Amino acid sequence: MASFSSFESLNPSPEKAHAESPVPSNRPRLVLCLPSMTPEMLENTLANLATVFAPSEVLIASPDFEQSITPTPLPVTAYEGPHCQPNWVLTAGNYLVAASQAEQHDSASVLMLGSDAATLPPSVVRQMAELLASGIDLTVPSYSLGPHDGLVNAALLYPVTRALFAANIRFPLAVDAGMSRRMASRMTQRHATLSQPEALVWPVSEAAIAAFSVRQVDAGTRARRPPDTTDFNTLFTDVAGSLFVDIEAKASFWQRARSLAPAASSEPPPQTGNTNDMDDELPSMVDAFRLAHNNLHEIWSLILPPQSLLALKKLSLTQPAAFSMATGLWARIVYDFALAFHLRTLNRGHLLGALTPLYMAWAASTLRFFGDPAASATHLEETAVAFEREKSYLVSRWRWPDRFNP
Amino acid sequence: MGQQIEFALRQSMHRVLIVLVSFLPGLVAFLVAVIVLSIVGAILAALLRRLLTAVRFDERLTAAGNPGSPGLFEWTSAQSPSRLAARVLFWLCVLVGAAVGISAFDASYEANSRVSVFLLPYFTHLIGAVVLLIVGVIVARFLARSVLISAVNAQLQYARFLALGVKWLVLVLTAAMALDHLQIGGAIVSLAFGILFGGIVLTLSLAVGLGSRDLVSRSIERTMERPGGPTEAAGQRSGETQPRSRLRHF
Repeated sequence: MASFSSFESLNPSPEKAHAESPVPSNRPRLVLCLPSMTPEMLENTLANLATVFAPSEVLIASPDFEQSITPTPLPVTAYEGPHCQPNWVLTAGNYLVAASQAEQHDSASVLMLGSDAATLPPSVVRQMAELLASGIDLTVPSYSLGPHDGLVNAALLYPVTRALFAANIRFPLAVDAGMSRRMASRMTQRHATLSQPEALVWPVSEAAIAAFSVRQVDAGTRARRPPDTTDFNTLFTDVAGSLFVDIEAKASFWQRARSLAPAASSEPPPQTGNTNDMDDELPSMVDAFRLAHNNLHEIWSLILPPQSLLALKKLSLTQPAAFSMATGLWARIVYDFALAFHLRTLNRGHLLGALTPLYMAWAASTLRFFGDPAASATHLEETAVAFEREKSYLVSRWRWPDRFNP
Repeated sequence: MGQQIEFALRQSMHRVLIVLVSFLPGLVAFLVAVIVLSIVGAILAALLRRLLTAVRFDERLTAAGNPGSPGLFEWTSAQSPSRLAARVLFWLCVLVGAAVGISAFDASYEANSRVSVFLLPYFTHLIGAVVLLIVGVIVARFLARSVLISAVNAQLQYARFLALGVKWLVLVLTAAMALDHLQIGGAIVSLAFGILFGGIVLTLSLAVGLGSRDLVSRSIERTMERPGGPTEAAGQRSGETQPRSRLRHF
């Protein structure tokens, strides 16, 4: 089932006006770009997609397709390029490839699937295609995760995107994405401003500032490729830095008052996993936070106001059983770091490195919810609401950074 | 006898006064040169800053790097690049004024005094040593902070000690280079630096290797054994069966 972004399109997609009109036979309605996979996997994937798509509805693009293989149930074309193999998420180069395929085949929309696409249910792909056909500019799946999965997304990416761009999209850093032609063109323009094709891009915020419509589709469980970088600190720095750069670039958009995103029209995907087996991790994580507080307090004092510093000091004195970072405090910390990133209060690499222990403290606070999926979902919602509530704090500090801030 | 002493004192006072009188015009010339060129430098700096702002120099410089993550091309200073360029131009003009002033200072002496032959090179060495010290302090603070943050994120208990050691290593090296540049102390400075630098390195090695042996082994054991630590793989395949759940940040 699809859930809504509150930022409805004020600029209706041209495709929407012609959603019901017949498409010329030589022009596919949808180009579906598959990642690189083995011939057996490609054959199975095509067979699965053939159960939900008619041959006239879609053109499959695959970097592994060879004309010599047996006839396929769906029309397939080959594409080449340095970005045929997606990373753990779609990067700027992947969006460029998708846009070029849509342009080349003159399709109304394009759908780019990430790594391990064979594990994505065909019905989900069909839902995404139907949304694109109905005129939606961007569709992204919402995955069911385990209680220990996607913590950075829950702590940072989802709440920030929801609060600043009024887009209630559970996974703003897309693993799979469907785009209309104009959305693909916009992502191509975004890529043109970036110097590296491996750079992370944020399609949800791009759609928001362009007044394009965005929808998410419940995708259930999907295998996701782990990042190539195994060092968490490096990866966290890259993702958080990219997010802060995006926030800085779109400051003129999110500073204007916008209606808050409504609650999702459907229940969030249920999380798998049952018992909480992370209780023994909590003391070590609390010790790590205390170590960080003792050593990085001077650096944090350059970024955070006294109120937040006092709250962190109290938190460092809390016993592990009662260790809990308030959602409002975490939201203000993230916003203060985003502001410091913008003002270059200190070296950006140092800034993001100093944020890492605070994120780990937030992760430690969430350990007690792991055994209860309902409580975990509630905590996620409370975190997002806290970011929305503290947005005025960010706007105020962004506009008047030198004003007295206790 | 008394008259001879009085005569000698008058002669020496007369000579000193002559030297001072010949010194003052040079000093005034030096001050005038520095002040005039400082004013010229301030005007040129303001013009340069306006020009760089008009051509959007700051935006072009920061856009040249990787916007996705901090990297080699990331602008680390809180000052904008155009502002720094203007300040560099201003201080260059001040230095030129000082050099002109020293030459004027020399011109006020007799033709064979050649004061500037000795003073000007040493003045440039002095400027070089000051620049060396400034760069060294900046590098020391940057490296100390980098080491501190990295060590904290690696959950090393001696993170602050490590950062302090790195900072003082760089500062000692910088001070030795500056003194060598000024040709002060000669071999004594080199020897003292070697002893001090080696002592700091040896101290760090002993503290980490022997004195903090238990601490290091506990830190290493915790880092290796903790499944949800920050150095753990940032994500794993969801489809794999895990005997024990772990934190998956991505």
